[in-house]
Amino acid sequence: MKAETRRARFQAVTLPHLDRLVALASRWADGHEAEDHVQETYLRAWTAFDQLRNDGAAFAWLCQILRAVATERRRTRARRQGLVYITELEAAHEEIIASDKPSPLDELLLRLDGVALRDALRSIPEEFAEAVELHDMHGLKYREIAQITSAPIGTVMSRISRGRRLLAGLLALTDEESSKRGVAT
Amino acid sequence: MTNPSSRNNSRRRDVAGAEDSDGYEGPTAKTGRAMTEAALDHALLQELVAALSDGELPWGEARVVRRHLRDCVPCQRELAVQKRLGSALAQEPARLASTALRQRIQRIGVRAPQPFALGWRAWLAPAAATGLVAFTVVCGAAFVAVGVGRAGALIADRDQAGRPSAAIPVLQDALADCRRAMTRNFPRKADLQAVGAGLHFPVRALERPDVELFSTWKTTLAGSPAAGLAYRWRGTILVQYAMPAEMLRRAPVIGAALREAAVFSTSEGGQGIVVSVANGRGTLFVAFAPAEELRRLIL
Repeated sequence: MKAETRRARFQAVTLPHLDRLVALASRWADGHEAEDHVQETYLRAWTAFDQLRNDGAAFAWLCQILRAVATERRRTRARRQGLVYITELEAAHEEIIASDKPSPLDELLLRLDGVALRDALRSIPEEFAEAVELHDMHGLKYREIAQITSAPIGTVMSRISRGRRLLAGLLALTDEESSKRGVAT
Repeated sequence: MTNPSSRNNSRRRDVAGAEDSDGYEGPTAKTGRAMTEAALDHALLQELVAALSDGELPWGEARVVRRHLRDCVPCQRELAVQKRLGSALAQEPARLASTALRQRIQRIGVRAPQPFALGWRAWLAPAAATGLVAFTVVCGAAFVAVGVGRAGALIADRDQAGRPSAAIPVLQDALADCRRAMTRNFPRKADLQAVGAGLHFPVRALERPDVELFSTWKTTLAGSPAAGLAYRWRGTILVQYAMPAEMLRRAPVIGAALREAAVFSTSEGGQGIVVSVANGRGTLFVAFAPAEELRRLIL
């Protein structure tokens, strides 16, 4: 393939996904670092472009590369220092759905700003948070997430379901704690 | 710590033989038996509620879960939790690529300039360049003089402008909406009737064998309602906005081009943009393709 034709095809196939990749990179890195990850992704994609057989699968392919770049560069990042116990979150979620009272989630979500919601999501274990983020915030389908994370689709299904449950539990627990603090003061 | 997802998956396998290493095929895929509610306990069905809410459950299983939902209040509440959280996270604004990054990406693969050659090439190169410039000027003058290709010249002018959309609100809104839709991977339904409902102008999809409509949505451009349609086209995505023709004519630059050449074309950030009007309907197309190619596709 001629260099110019190859370049034109590369641009046509990969550029439409640039914004989505930057949004996705923001889950692993902030600001300029996220853009650096994306630039590195495009450079690697350019080198390996001939391996992409199906243009329709370009986004999932780019995501796989981006994920590898982010993983390589994240070695020292300890983002999840405030991890909470899963069992505790599951119990809080069970309480929400077993109770006859109206769900506290609606009111809670109205009060929360976007940053708090994102922070909460990132406090639950990585594999759950990743699946939920890829689906809910980046609009990927289960099958695409399975491809990107190299996990069976059943696992993706389970991670999304449990991830949202853990998030609901975490939001409820956090709210309960801040109410208690409010009463105590 | 035990990985809860793998624990649940092995449980799913135990109960229904549902999963193998290649992917989830649904509980009936391997056994050939109909999946009955009795075979699956409440906890397993509860785990499938999220996939039902996301529209990712195969038809047979979706039916079983829906039936279970009729009588199971905790699962109904689970469905509400899953939907509420899913939609709250979907509202999160996504970060977009900076112009600098987009430009850097667009330069990938461009050959670095060759080191300047010494010897006879040292004087030949400027001479050739001067000759080429002279040739271009003469040809360009002749081209304009005979009045051919006014529309072509218009495209060239607009293409050279830095950011044509900056001065045209409807274009600016369309590009921003297009970026938003792409970032969200587009709404999952393509329903022309639904997207046209309530609009006072008809919404017509592009009918060509090489385009495939996969998404439709309602939006607002320059303060007026419009419809967005996304197609798969030669490995890329083509987005069409339908709106009243008047909305497009109102923008002086577009209006002038439409009066002159019945079409307005431009490009920005590697995207081709083509605007046309017919029978009171205005259409704006955006795709990562040269504007000229886009014109050929739709005209």
